[in-house]
Amino acid sequence: MTFRFFGTRLASLVALLLVLSVVLFVLQEISATDAAAATLGPTASPEAIAAERARLGLDGPPVGRYLDYLGGLFTGDLGTSFRTKRPVTEDIGSYLPATLELVLFAFLLALLLALLFALSSTLRWRGAGALRGLLFVSSTAPTFLLGIFFLIVFYQQLDWLPANGRASGGAATDGPTGLLVVDGLLAGDPAASVDALRHLLLPALALAVGPALAIGRVFRSSLRTTLDAEYVRTARAKGLGERAIVVRHVARNSVNAALSMTGLQIGFMFAGVLVVESVFSWPGLGSYLGASIPVSDFPAVAGVTFVLGAVYIVANTAADVLQGVADPRVAV
Amino acid sequence: MAALVAGVETPTRSRLPRRHLVGGRLLNHCLLGLVGLVTLVAVLAPLLAPHDAVGTSGQLYAGIGSPGHPLGTDGIGRDLLSRTLLGLRTSWLMALAVVALGLLVGGIVGLLAGAFGGWLDAVLMRVTDLFLALPGTLVAVAVAAALGSGLGNTFLAISVVWWPYYARIVRGEVRALAVRPHVEAARMAGVSTPRIILRHLLPGVVPSAVVTASLDVGSVVLVLASLSFLGLGQSAPAPELGADTSRALPELLTHWWIPVIPGVTVMLLSLVANLGGDAVRDLIARRGR
Repeated sequence: MTFRFFGTRLASLVALLLVLSVVLFVLQEISATDAAAATLGPTASPEAIAAERARLGLDGPPVGRYLDYLGGLFTGDLGTSFRTKRPVTEDIGSYLPATLELVLFAFLLALLLALLFALSSTLRWRGAGALRGLLFVSSTAPTFLLGIFFLIVFYQQLDWLPANGRASGGAATDGPTGLLVVDGLLAGDPAASVDALRHLLLPALALAVGPALAIGRVFRSSLRTTLDAEYVRTARAKGLGERAIVVRHVARNSVNAALSMTGLQIGFMFAGVLVVESVFSWPGLGSYLGASIPVSDFPAVAGVTFVLGAVYIVANTAADVLQGVADPRVAV
Repeated sequence: MAALVAGVETPTRSRLPRRHLVGGRLLNHCLLGLVGLVTLVAVLAPLLAPHDAVGTSGQLYAGIGSPGHPLGTDGIGRDLLSRTLLGLRTSWLMALAVVALGLLVGGIVGLLAGAFGGWLDAVLMRVTDLFLALPGTLVAVAVAAALGSGLGNTFLAISVVWWPYYARIVRGEVRALAVRPHVEAARMAGVSTPRIILRHLLPGVVPSAVVTASLDVGSVVLVLASLSFLGLGQSAPAPELGADTSRALPELLTHWWIPVIPGVTVMLLSLVANLGGDAVRDLIARRGR
């Protein structure tokens, strides 16, 4: 765990965010819509459009415009949405908590399922084969099909769980964290938290299955490799129980590959959440994006991509650093 | 990218009982046959489709098994079997094309980086790492949104993010091969560099590249379907599996088969692709021993 290790990780974090901003700026440049015309609407006169272009600084050289864009990103300015005519940052701010709550919950669910998957096949629990088969088949399904399937089974047929939105009735979404489950607990209203959890369950499950299998498979295969190691034989020989061996000796030495897979899967979850939200009418960034794409509202699309991409890059750096913590050999 | 999972898992595969079955090889060939069959259906889809995929018939909301419409019709009377077949054609052929292009571009980048080493290697691999570190699917969404709707644009959007992993794999293999005695002998004998690359390095790289690529087709099918679901595919009347599901969502609780059939088709395509990929890996692993 050296200073150098953290230094390189931090530098590459900054470099990646810069590259992401360049990519989005270039895409903005080649996108077919003219920002000035789109802002003013179809009835604007050519003169008005020209004036708006000058006001937005669209006539300057590309490098200058990129620096403007970058400066905007630093101050939290992602441009103005063509569709809502509001700053993209404001729009995203109002949709982000819903998406974060869903992704966080799905992420925990994915880790839990992955752990079950990996340990069940190593410790040979009953029902392990069934769980694995189920996960394998569902991993070939597109996320939206899983969502649809859960809707039909748990909402339409069994009527156990709600199908739409984050809460029943007019739940307050202006709590301190924006995460309804946490806000309910903070406000001393556990019923609201339970309601929010019931709404979370189906979309989170649809989102979690794919990543759970990917992480679980990697973790299982490195568990198996580690189980063949000589120190495991020694642990067995000195009479340690199988569970103690797996938990104390094998799991820690196998967690590395699983961690980097987890980092990768966060990216897939951010893409998946966009799809899942539109299946469950979840009022998050996916719904925002879904409304922006058909009207070619590129600032909105770029804003969502930048915010989710930045979270992904930060999460991956965190996974990298955690790898160094779990296995000091990585951080040399 | 999903190939990363598969790559790590390779060593444990040999413990699965399937390999010890007498019919293992036959099973693998059957799975490859299935892949061939799907490809044939995709190519011949316009001939196989019983109706015009965008034209309407008088029958609205016909159920599965209706006379003349085996998979029923949608809310404006379009034949679902025909739409599914043509959607399958787009999904499958495009997934194959994305993987092929990724393999070509990534292969060339990896081959050059691995064979020449030095600054070329450093530059090419840094670029590759950058692409690998960005969230691929999100970038594809942004690219497709910037370029606008259309088949070619979606293809471009996914291809842009799909080559770097192949570049990494190929480069690693080439580096390992380049220090092997047969390459050294060729170099000592005065064989030219292009010839060394084509005759002595390339053939050694092909198996692992092909295995990785074939395990990837299923993932590409899924990503394509997601983009199309989000509205980033062809525009409205064109038959496309993801978009057809998404547009029919409001009818899910009343006419479930309309959104479910295209979704299930995506799942079957990805399942066939994954099984086919496994078969390719098994067959190549056997041949290597």
